[in-house]
Amino acid sequence: MTYDVVEPIFFALLTIGIVSAGAGVVLANRITTSALLMAFSFLNVAGMFVLLGAETVAAFQVLIYVGAITVLILYGVMFTPQQPRAYGLFFQKQTPLAAIVVVPIAIFVALFAFSFRDAPEAGAKGHDLEPLATSVFRDFGFPFEVASVLLLAAMIGAIVLVKRDEE
Amino acid sequence: MPEGPFGLDPVIWAPLRLIIAVLLAVGLVFNGALAQIYLERKIQAIIQDRIGPLHTGPWGLLQTFADAIKLLGKEDIRARLTDKWFFLAAPSIVFSPMIASFVVVPFAPGIVGANLNIGLLYLTTLGSMTVLGIVIAGWASNNKYSLIGGLRSAGQLISYEVPQILSLVTVVLLVGTLSMVGIAESQPDWRINFLILPLAFVTYFIAGLAETNRNPFDLPEAESELVAGFLTEYSGMRWAIFFLAEYGEVTVVSAIATTLWFGAWHGPLTDRLPLLGVIWFTLKTYFFVLVFMWIRATLPRLRIDQLMSLCWKVLIPLTLTNLMVTSVLLLAYPSSRIPVAIANWILLGLFGLAVPFFQRRRLASLRERLRAAAA
Repeated sequence: MTYDVVEPIFFALLTIGIVSAGAGVVLANRITTSALLMAFSFLNVAGMFVLLGAETVAAFQVLIYVGAITVLILYGVMFTPQQPRAYGLFFQKQTPLAAIVVVPIAIFVALFAFSFRDAPEAGAKGHDLEPLATSVFRDFGFPFEVASVLLLAAMIGAIVLVKRDEE
Repeated sequence: MPEGPFGLDPVIWAPLRLIIAVLLAVGLVFNGALAQIYLERKIQAIIQDRIGPLHTGPWGLLQTFADAIKLLGKEDIRARLTDKWFFLAAPSIVFSPMIASFVVVPFAPGIVGANLNIGLLYLTTLGSMTVLGIVIAGWASNNKYSLIGGLRSAGQLISYEVPQILSLVTVVLLVGTLSMVGIAESQPDWRINFLILPLAFVTYFIAGLAETNRNPFDLPEAESELVAGFLTEYSGMRWAIFFLAEYGEVTVVSAIATTLWFGAWHGPLTDRLPLLGVIWFTLKTYFFVLVFMWIRATLPRLRIDQLMSLCWKVLIPLTLTNLMVTSVLLLAYPSSRIPVAIANWILLGLFGLAVPFFQRRRLASLRERLRAAAA
């Protein structure tokens, strides 16, 4: 007996976590709950990356999405005026429209997902750091630099926009 | 059938090892917190010329136990207008990443929960999850002081993560691995990284103080301005869990500093008796815990704008410069570490010299403004 059975169990748990948290984000009628459920969903996605042997990607997933993005969203929510009543998000009132938009996209996503059925097994587990570093800093070094300059420009722009006049 | 350690079947040994590791981590955090609270009281008492806990048990040793029992016995209070699930979830969101951090701490050769090859990244990741718990605690309490504490904490922790990670990266560049065990093994005998990268250590320690909400960066809870910040509505067990998490994080930050800059388990006689490494590691870690307490007893709290300008105008440019200089020198002299060490000590010296200079200029400008206001 070995622990081969453990992996499918974890996979099932993580899948349930991702899907139910994702549904909760849309269905919950309080925006803070949605934000927290989103963080939970991100954590489960990180768990998926660990199962696939991509530990580094999992770590960055948690570091950036759970540690930074969710906090910033919560930050934004707190500065937004809150009504005393529980309120639905605006798109919850547009179910027919949402269905029309979502169904065609869902078909393509499902087709895309099933196209991986005959994909080869994932490679050796737990050593994705070096391939990741090589591809980011060597193979795709130039696009990486372009993206970082773009982000820098965006940051400077944001600072200029919010800076008060010195009068 | 392959045999695991102690003649156990690996199938039994794997979960057993997990249980032992978790129990040890929990025990370490609980006992460590008890010891640290006692130490904190005694050390602050000594610094402030008092006696400190004295009457409960010999030298007041049982005072912390008495306090812990009192906290456990307290009624579990939750104000009616708090956000129930968030309020209950916040302590565990702060506590669980801290416990999980102990998995990769290398206590001695072979005594480590898991030798992850991304150990250091894993630790920073877990450190970043604390913010979420504190922000949620501040939000769920439905109290303006708590909310201000939570928002301050979000700004502070996210900002100080940048210099913290940049300081860690310089060490990783030097050592060439993210594994905590690998970093520990790279510094045998006296050749510790502190001699090569002192500036990175100083910036990491300052950022670590901010990341653990300790003085002089304890703005999220600032008793004198915000009641108790995000902790205002918490009492009894839940409050205790927040404090356990804080002391645990202090231990984790100290353990990271020990591993990265001070040779982890290496010390006299560890070649012959590897288990002695545990003692050396604990002693080094607790030395930094004591420095945390010493700083707490001697420095006043920063104002929020000072806190932010210290991070964005001083620490981040400094760590970025350090990172650039270190990486360029490591590329230019791949075989020798002496140029890196010289550059780092020079940068540290410049930093040390610049502090009083800027302080004097700032004081002069403040006096100028006061005079202008009086006139």
